[in-house]
Amino acid sequence: MIILAVAQNTFREAVRDKVLYVLLFFSATAILSSKALGWISIGQDIKIVKDISLAAVALFGVLIAIFIGTNLIYKEVDKRTIYTIICQPMRRYEFILGKYLGLAGLLALVTGVMTIVASTYVLALGGTLDATFFMAAFLIYWELLLLTALAVLLSSVTSPILGAIIVFTVFMVGHATSILNELPDHISGAARAVMNGAYYILPNLSNFNIRAEAANGVVVAPSYVAWAIAYGAIYTTVLLVLASLAFEDKDV
Amino acid sequence: MNAITVTDLHKKYRSHLGRKPTYPVKGLSFTVAPNEVFGFLGRNGAGKTTTIKILCSLLRPTSGTASIRGVKAQSRAARRLIGYLPENPYFYEYLTPRETIDFYGRLRGFSRAAREEQWQSISDLLDLRPIAERRVRGFSKGMRQRLGFGVAMVGDPEVMILDEPMSGLDPVGRRQIRELIHLLKERGKTVFFSSHVLGDVEQICDRVGILVDGQLSTEGRVSDLLHRRVDRVEITVGGLKEPNAKSLAESASVEWRRSGAGDCFVVDGLDKANAFAQRILAAGGVLREFVPIKVTLEDVFMEEQEPAA
Repeated sequence: MIILAVAQNTFREAVRDKVLYVLLFFSATAILSSKALGWISIGQDIKIVKDISLAAVALFGVLIAIFIGTNLIYKEVDKRTIYTIICQPMRRYEFILGKYLGLAGLLALVTGVMTIVASTYVLALGGTLDATFFMAAFLIYWELLLLTALAVLLSSVTSPILGAIIVFTVFMVGHATSILNELPDHISGAARAVMNGAYYILPNLSNFNIRAEAANGVVVAPSYVAWAIAYGAIYTTVLLVLASLAFEDKDV
Repeated sequence: MNAITVTDLHKKYRSHLGRKPTYPVKGLSFTVAPNEVFGFLGRNGAGKTTTIKILCSLLRPTSGTASIRGVKAQSRAARRLIGYLPENPYFYEYLTPRETIDFYGRLRGFSRAAREEQWQSISDLLDLRPIAERRVRGFSKGMRQRLGFGVAMVGDPEVMILDEPMSGLDPVGRRQIRELIHLLKERGKTVFFSSHVLGDVEQICDRVGILVDGQLSTEGRVSDLLHRRVDRVEITVGGLKEPNAKSLAESASVEWRRSGAGDCFVVDGLDKANAFAQRILAAGGVLREFVPIKVTLEDVFMEEQEPAA
């Protein structure tokens, strides 16, 4: 109940954040203008619209997770609203989980709305939608949950700017982790060890990327989706445990 | 069992980027009895807020212990016993007072009915009903302070910990806070609060502790602290010639000055003043005023600061 109270409050607060509406506006604009790129790809317009729409959902979802997520705990400390909350008879991890779930709820709403906008647009253009399209949107949301957990962890230990840089870097590198494991021979020694280490530590976000399959109407096995969900759930849980531990003894 | 027990408390802030570590609290020990109003005094940076934050679980002590009714201050059980009003309290700006009180009730795990009951009693007491549906954004300092008091009272805690509750308030606001503290005492609560407004502290506290440089410099009942200082008496006299007044002052080693109202003598101690008054009368003087000068808490406070100043 305590977690739910914090989550509902976080959701209400985030919904009032002006950044959200700016990002939603640009997201909707990107989705609706995807037809322009479709025109220069003869016969491929629906495919391009689907691809760009899902990419827009992912990109703007990540920006929301970064801008709001990395501020989530930091803002409470900075604005001192945390003083009267942490002194209540609640566990500190309940606060962290509540904040996280509040933002997760917001991201569900945002990705849901953007997916509906994209779907409606595809149908309006005469295209068809299949299960893979919605699975792709769901896995984008699942990826956002993982990145939000990272943002919350960083928000409890560092400044929003540094946190945002790290989350964005993880987002970029996380979609290309295979590069870190398939290094050319001339990279050796410490650099190779660091990159190989990063390969095992950083989340492989390409596991959540079935956008190409969705755009091309390729069927994705449910077992793969289940595996990606499990992978994200484990990673997210670990990050939230770390965030709770980091916050447990933090002086506020 | 004491309401608050602090024993050999230390807090060290680690150094950053080559700066020296700081020690806002250094071996602090004190107790607060149940149903006592305890004033926690000290200059800015003396360690008051750090101590309060440790009592409220916002900070972890480096060493030493702090407990509420015998329960370790860092535990959930202790937090259930306290209500905390921070200095310049901040709340979610988009919530109304009613929603704010409800939110904190939920954090304490209360049912909807219990939260409604809390709202009724707190809003009645603090006169929050006229602003019940207004958003906290745009609230004046006094309104925020009242709401902060309301939040601290959610759950009807035994021990109220108030950090500078009168800071920045106008005389009406300060009076309201004084009355609230009196009321809490009547209801059997313990009130521990820090303040710079020494006149108010003198009026409402049973005991005070004065913190200097992270350590308790003095503590005791307000009446004891004031009485253990030597009273001074200002005696205004007429009918004496200037040489007579001067020689009387010199012979008794008292301060003397001559003004339009007559000769004014300032004598240390009530007994000495009485004896001196007899000598004045014997010398043909006429007593016009005999005014004991009371020592204020401010005098005591300033005296305690001297070693640190």
